[in-house]
Amino acid sequence: MGAISLLALICPAAAMRLFFELFKRSFQRAVTYRAATIAGLLTNLFFGLLRAAVMVALYGARPDVSGLSLQAAITFTGVSQAIIACLNLFGSYEIMESVSSGEIAADLLKPYSYFGMWMARDLGRSVSNFVLRGLVLMVGYAALFRITAPTTIVQWLALLVALVLAWAVSFAWRFLVNLAAFWSPEARGIGRMAFGVTMFLSGFLWPLRFFPDWFVSLCNLTPFPAMVNTVIEVYLGGVSGPALAQALLTQAIWLVILIVVAQLVMRAGVRRLVIQGG
Amino acid sequence: MRYTLDIYRRLILVQIRSQLQYRASFLLDTLAAGFMNGISFLSLALILQRFEGIGGWSLAEVAFLYGMVETAFGIMDMLFSGFDPGNFGRYVRLGAFDQLLLRPIGVTLQVFGSQFVIRRLGRIAQGLAVLFFAATNLNIHWTLLKLLYMPVVLTSLVCFFGGLFMVGATITFWTVESIEVVNIFTYGGSEMMAYPMHIYPDWMRRFFTFVIPAIFLNYAPALYFLDKSDPLGLPPFAAFLAPVAGAATLLAATLFWNYGLRHYQSTGT
Repeated sequence: MGAISLLALICPAAAMRLFFELFKRSFQRAVTYRAATIAGLLTNLFFGLLRAAVMVALYGARPDVSGLSLQAAITFTGVSQAIIACLNLFGSYEIMESVSSGEIAADLLKPYSYFGMWMARDLGRSVSNFVLRGLVLMVGYAALFRITAPTTIVQWLALLVALVLAWAVSFAWRFLVNLAAFWSPEARGIGRMAFGVTMFLSGFLWPLRFFPDWFVSLCNLTPFPAMVNTVIEVYLGGVSGPALAQALLTQAIWLVILIVVAQLVMRAGVRRLVIQGG
Repeated sequence: MRYTLDIYRRLILVQIRSQLQYRASFLLDTLAAGFMNGISFLSLALILQRFEGIGGWSLAEVAFLYGMVETAFGIMDMLFSGFDPGNFGRYVRLGAFDQLLLRPIGVTLQVFGSQFVIRRLGRIAQGLAVLFFAATNLNIHWTLLKLLYMPVVLTSLVCFFGGLFMVGATITFWTVESIEVVNIFTYGGSEMMAYPMHIYPDWMRRFFTFVIPAIFLNYAPALYFLDKSDPLGLPPFAAFLAPVAGAATLLAATLFWNYGLRHYQSTGT
């Protein structure tokens, strides 16, 4: 994290301040587009209702499948729809656009970390989406269904930690995918593929516990469950005690791995970056 | 008409030639699209196996619905990409759409010919593979009428989804931004049609019957193809309404599109 960590060493307050300012701008921008927010909210809610109806039909008369009650399964559809916007589960392409357009040149000249800058922006948008789309959607769900909620203060705290880690893992992964633009003019295609795979292996569409062991083991070799499934399991109370600690630790480990890889790839990419003048 | 077709053919050929320039990226994209939809079906199959079907329909029967929708949506997405609300919205926002208005050819034709996404072949192939899986695992009593009706249903589905894309594109004349709500009709519609319609709550099914005639394009014909009993009590001719529903959607969309064109005001950029 080159420059931002340097700045943080010399003057931690200034680095924090910069991060906060970038965060605030991006938060304000997201809040401004009210119509888009409402449209997005309706869409997320509709898909949630659709998925809940499918769950009801799948369960039929079964009270319980893989340790999940129907009520919990319906709650799952709500939580997973609620976190789409704040965790950017469908992917983002802004960084690759700034590489292809050459805008990145100006950003690299600025005396702070490129990674840190995008992270601050992403956090701003995520927090606004968490409130405007995540919380509101869960309130809607609570009005329509009998959903479950975390019961203990420990579970709420763990949920908060899991969410923050999930966002950070998601951001680091999206940052890494976007760096493909350094090498390929067709980075969008790579992004579409990478984000598509993310959807299926993260436990977004279906809780991972519904799947056979071999499929779950396959998913666990990737950072994707750390983006969605952990949050869901913590919310539903599926993990507790040492298992909970392990789940959060796994998220943290994936985060570190992805950040390190992203930094290395970024360094290699910048070295071969050629900006067309103009 | 001849002239129109000739122009369309030329526009499409340009598209194909340019997309084949980057052969590696084209192959990768096509494979990626097929692969992704492959995982999507695999995960659905694993879930249906776990739950032993849904609403009284087996995995193979759901695969029939899914395969029809995937194949048709893929074909539509190849042909109608010019109207894809996301792409088209950007066109309108940047003022690029104004250029089309200056040219001495019909605007609709130009938009139609502006995109021809051959990498969708990956999705189409995967859709056909799922259909094949369904057909080999089901004991479908094929009759001549069924064989003849099958391509009619697929074509109707393509028209239906194409109409939805056109409506989504037209809305961007006013909103400028492509709006996410349109996804409810396009992607929501295709997602919902991949399951038997009787599993949905009444309000949702009514919406996809009377507002958007989705039920006549997949569920009703599937009941006929698979000789399934109908828990909803649709009239017997409902299975044969697919071409009517497809044509009506496309026609209504075209009228709406023309209305939008007449009222188009440029963003001025």
